[in-house]
Amino acid sequence: MQIKEVLNSLTFRYIAKYVVVLSSTVFLLVGAYYVYFSYTSFEELGESVLEELETLELVYTGQSLIGVEQYIEDKMATPSVNRFYYLITDKQGKKVAGDLPAAPRYREFDDGWLGFEMALQNLGASVEVDFLAHPMPLGDGYRAIVARDYADIVNRAELMFRTLFRVMIATLILGITGGFFSAARTLDQVERLNREMSHIIRGEPGQRLQVEGEKGYIRAQAILMNQMLEKMETLMEGVRRVSDNIAHDLRTPLTRMRNDLSQLRARMASGDGEQLERIIEECDDLLSSFNALLRISALESGNRLAGGNDVELRALLQDVVELYEPLAHVQGIELQLDAPRSQICKGEADLLFQMFTNILDNAIKYTPPNGEIRVQLSGGEADAGQRIMFADSGPGIPMEERKKVFRRFYRVESSRGEHPGHGLGLSLVQAIAQYHYGSVKLTANNPGLRVLVNLP
Amino acid sequence: MNILLVEDDKRVAAFIVAQLSAAGHTCVHALDGEAGNQAASAGNYDVMVIDRMMPRVDGLSLIKSLRAQGNNTPVLVLSALGEVDDRVQGLHSGADDYLVKPFAMEELVARLEVLHRRVSLPGGDTQTKLVVQDLTMDLLRQEVQRDGTSITLQPREYKLLEFLMRHAGQVVTRAMLLEQVWGYHFDPQTNVIDVHVSRLRQKIDKDFEHPLLTTVRGAGYRLGTERVD
Repeated sequence: MQIKEVLNSLTFRYIAKYVVVLSSTVFLLVGAYYVYFSYTSFEELGESVLEELETLELVYTGQSLIGVEQYIEDKMATPSVNRFYYLITDKQGKKVAGDLPAAPRYREFDDGWLGFEMALQNLGASVEVDFLAHPMPLGDGYRAIVARDYADIVNRAELMFRTLFRVMIATLILGITGGFFSAARTLDQVERLNREMSHIIRGEPGQRLQVEGEKGYIRAQAILMNQMLEKMETLMEGVRRVSDNIAHDLRTPLTRMRNDLSQLRARMASGDGEQLERIIEECDDLLSSFNALLRISALESGNRLAGGNDVELRALLQDVVELYEPLAHVQGIELQLDAPRSQICKGEADLLFQMFTNILDNAIKYTPPNGEIRVQLSGGEADAGQRIMFADSGPGIPMEERKKVFRRFYRVESSRGEHPGHGLGLSLVQAIAQYHYGSVKLTANNPGLRVLVNLP
Repeated sequence: MNILLVEDDKRVAAFIVAQLSAAGHTCVHALDGEAGNQAASAGNYDVMVIDRMMPRVDGLSLIKSLRAQGNNTPVLVLSALGEVDDRVQGLHSGADDYLVKPFAMEELVARLEVLHRRVSLPGGDTQTKLVVQDLTMDLLRQEVQRDGTSITLQPREYKLLEFLMRHAGQVVTRAMLLEQVWGYHFDPQTNVIDVHVSRLRQKIDKDFEHPLLTTVRGAGYRLGTERVD
């Protein structure tokens, strides 16, 4: 199985899309939470700064500057991780109390909010920390600034964001990997179904899909397909039976008619029976059509060759060629057999003989005088199978007709009327080849036609 | 010929009996396998025609039991089953010939006559010389002469002539020639046999006044004049 195939498969694409949509949704949700969290954290921070300023104002109102200084000192003495920083300045802007430097570089925000950066000692290391501050006049020209760092909030937000990002990446990777494998599994099942289906299409209409071992919707689908095959086979069987019945039922009265005609002719003077003779021949032709039709049906619907005898193909082809040699000679056609080696295949000699004579019969029928027909036997090594080729120098069969000529009663348009025949010869050839687990193929011989029979 | 017909289909049987009688043969009809067995044991027949599918005892079982009883009368099986396997089975059961239904009457008559002749000629296989009028075939030397002039034949032509001479005076059908001379049972699309026969005819009849090998219309060929048993 190709990776590309899996990636292109419907299941994989579906799962991948699902994973992407799901993780983006989660990302958006948590992102919204991040924004909300940051916003409320700052809100709280700001409120606490304003409250502290109010406290300072109260202290100043009650105890003037000394009280404020005392308050700040108390606060600074209390060790706290997350404490307020203070700066009290006088009219000239000189620092009076507090632990912030006199004039840090402020950035100004809305509503009088200020922001600045300051280095703090943290476990012996100096760390630049962001502060949020707000000024407030205390009276008599004194001015207080209360600041609080928000490194904590930033850290927490950052941590949250990073975690979120990693979780999303992990979800994507896991989801898509999982998707890949489950798509591969589904594809594997589908491919198995496809293989079995094409096997059935290639000529095992009686076979059914494997349902055991399949699960879920594949199983349901296999069962459904089997039902469809069942239905199709019944229908096909029905059609075949109808045509077989017609052939079968017409055969008997036709034979009776033929026998009666033959009796009639026997009673006639020898010169008078010519017309009758033609009718009898017509009857014989019809009967042989029916017989061929029934044989094809029997070969196609029954079991294929089981066992079979060893058939020496070279000897068989020699017999075929020898049988047709006088006919070819009469028509001025050169008939050659090229079979260098003895080759043995399993089969029914009578059927194989029938198949080869049908092919050769056609070749002779369509090859013009002074033409040539070559019969070639090759292959047969190890697992190569047997190849039998009949190449003639006749008009050939146009490419688009080559598949159709195997249909029952199909005849190439140009040959209708020109050559006798019932259009069953090649159908029988194919039925016999398939009965032997082989195949027939038509190709061009430039000029002429090549009939290639492959046998196992 | 004295013929026993074992056939359960009354209509087919009536037809065959009528046709065989018209051809000058005596024909007794038994309606099923059991009746056939009794008739075969009681009477003395030249050939038997046995249908394959019959109620009670089927054709092939009947033949087997007849052969087991020591009855060696030639048997021709009639059957609607015409596949290769069916033929092989039929011939394995002890039948001498197998004809698929429906058949041309000429084919049946020709085959019955050949079957009958095969046993009625004593020592048919140990003969060293075949003679039909002025045509002779030396089986040991594989030489053919007509009126003292020797004729050169291809191996297959020789076999064809030998078969015709062994059945001189009888009608042999094309299907019989294919089966007996070529050894294959199949339906030729064209009458390839005719070409072989006319080649043979060229060799044995060309320079002679009386043709020996004649075509019997609608049936096949005959070597020599018609034989009346």
